[in-house]
Amino acid sequence: MIPKPSIDDERLAAFRDVDFTYEDGTEALRGITLDIWKGEHIALVGGNGSGKTTLAKHLNGLLTPTGGNVIVGEFDTCKEPVARLARTVGYVFQNPDHQLFCPTVTDEVQFGPRNFGLSDSEIAEKTDRALEIMTLDHLKAEPPMSLSLGDRRRVSIASVIATDPEMIVLDEPFTGLDAKEADELMRVVNGINREGKTIILITHDMRVVAEHSERVIVLAEGRLMLDCRTRKVFSESSLLRDSGLTPPPVSQLAHRLGEYGVSPETLTVDELAEEIARLMEGAK
Amino acid sequence: MTGFVDLYSENDTFLHRLDPRVKILSVLLLSLLAFVLSTLYSLVVLLAFIFLLLFLSRASLSRTWFALRFVLRFMTLIVILWPIFDSAGTPVWATLGPIKITEPAVWRGFTSAARVGCLACVWYILMFTTSQRDLVRALVRMGLRFDYGLTIAISLRFFPSFMATIYSIIDAQRARGLEFNRGGLIKRSRKYVAVLVPAVVSALRTADSLSLALQSRAYGAKARRTYLRQLKMRRSDFAALAIVTALFVVPFVAKYVFFVHI
Repeated sequence: MIPKPSIDDERLAAFRDVDFTYEDGTEALRGITLDIWKGEHIALVGGNGSGKTTLAKHLNGLLTPTGGNVIVGEFDTCKEPVARLARTVGYVFQNPDHQLFCPTVTDEVQFGPRNFGLSDSEIAEKTDRALEIMTLDHLKAEPPMSLSLGDRRRVSIASVIATDPEMIVLDEPFTGLDAKEADELMRVVNGINREGKTIILITHDMRVVAEHSERVIVLAEGRLMLDCRTRKVFSESSLLRDSGLTPPPVSQLAHRLGEYGVSPETLTVDELAEEIARLMEGAK
Repeated sequence: MTGFVDLYSENDTFLHRLDPRVKILSVLLLSLLAFVLSTLYSLVVLLAFIFLLLFLSRASLSRTWFALRFVLRFMTLIVILWPIFDSAGTPVWATLGPIKITEPAVWRGFTSAARVGCLACVWYILMFTTSQRDLVRALVRMGLRFDYGLTIAISLRFFPSFMATIYSIIDAQRARGLEFNRGGLIKRSRKYVAVLVPAVVSALRTADSLSLALQSRAYGAKARRTYLRQLKMRRSDFAALAIVTALFVVPFVAKYVFFVHI
């Protein structure tokens, strides 16, 4: 079930039989084993309370397993401080308001690189690049807290890009964004992914997953339900239903039209249009 | 995490059913009683009575222990420290350099510890058996302005979620490489600006949307309020109040009118 590496053989993270129980006794993760490879574009999905955020927080050591172990890069997360792991794994929190505190956008974006003790010239270079990627140049001198939610989220993502991590976790980045803003955000994320950075996207938006992610990890009640290529996940609707997820409309339609010869692995509107056009050409 | 902010646990005992106003008054009277009583024996009897009520509230053992261990630690401290600083009376039991340990001082230590135990534990009875809503309802019925009551209720209600926000902010800043446990005291405390600012901003945003939600539900539109749940004194409430009042008045009169050493 675990897919092969996509770009090269470099493994970024390994979970081995990971359990995690919160102090109040809630078992949030049970027996998770998986590998994350350099350059992957992964969607982490599952219902509310399925353990997505708990799993993601293990990647930078904010949480450490109560059973099994998590290796990130060459480090065991139990033995390394979060600040060290944060150089490998950048984490964009769900609510941008939980991190913005600086007087200007530039200061906010510089905060991470400064914590890592980079030189002034490096900090300036990485900040400028992050601001450019997130098209925040014109807001540089603004106080981040007074921006719109969409802009605040872009600042929070820029502040993670500026630390130049190998892997970026985005925890439900579309909350409060309209479709256009969400698409724009995915365009930027895909650009970062093409540079070889690993993307972990936590989301409920199956359309985005279908169109952008190449691998899907499905969690339910803290267990790993599915871990495979996106096409395969959505073509097996029964597996999804068991995990409480609904495939995107395009996949559902492709499924219904399966008996007419439409491939059940169709994911996007373009692909579906092509499939249907192909069949209609054949019928003529 | 949130469970220990609110000590109340849902149960159906006579203490839970009692009118919250009666409970507040009773707890106040029993607290005053702890000051009226001045002998170790009477205070121990009062403490035993309070523990009995705590037991009857059927709070879970872990919760009771969580609440009591602070009190017990404090009581132990009083018993140990009192004789060291109070050397009045005879006989002297031991002399350690300038420190004289006398028998009456040791007993006075126990007496003070018992009094502190009574004062702390009696309030736990109220907190274990009365929901925050009932508490606020009672205060409002006892004459607190409704807006203030609502303010108290909202603060209590949002305290756990505010704490959750703070933990989430700390995580977010750690994920950006901030190390709270490094550097000197001043450097360290300055790092908390990164927590304080988002926490205050989040709280203000919550308060803002909360006030909109209140207004959109026509809060304050009517000068005279009506209540869905009316507090009503029942016979058992009057009986309980009478018993507690007697418990307070009898020793009070005995001590200050008939000069009984109690």
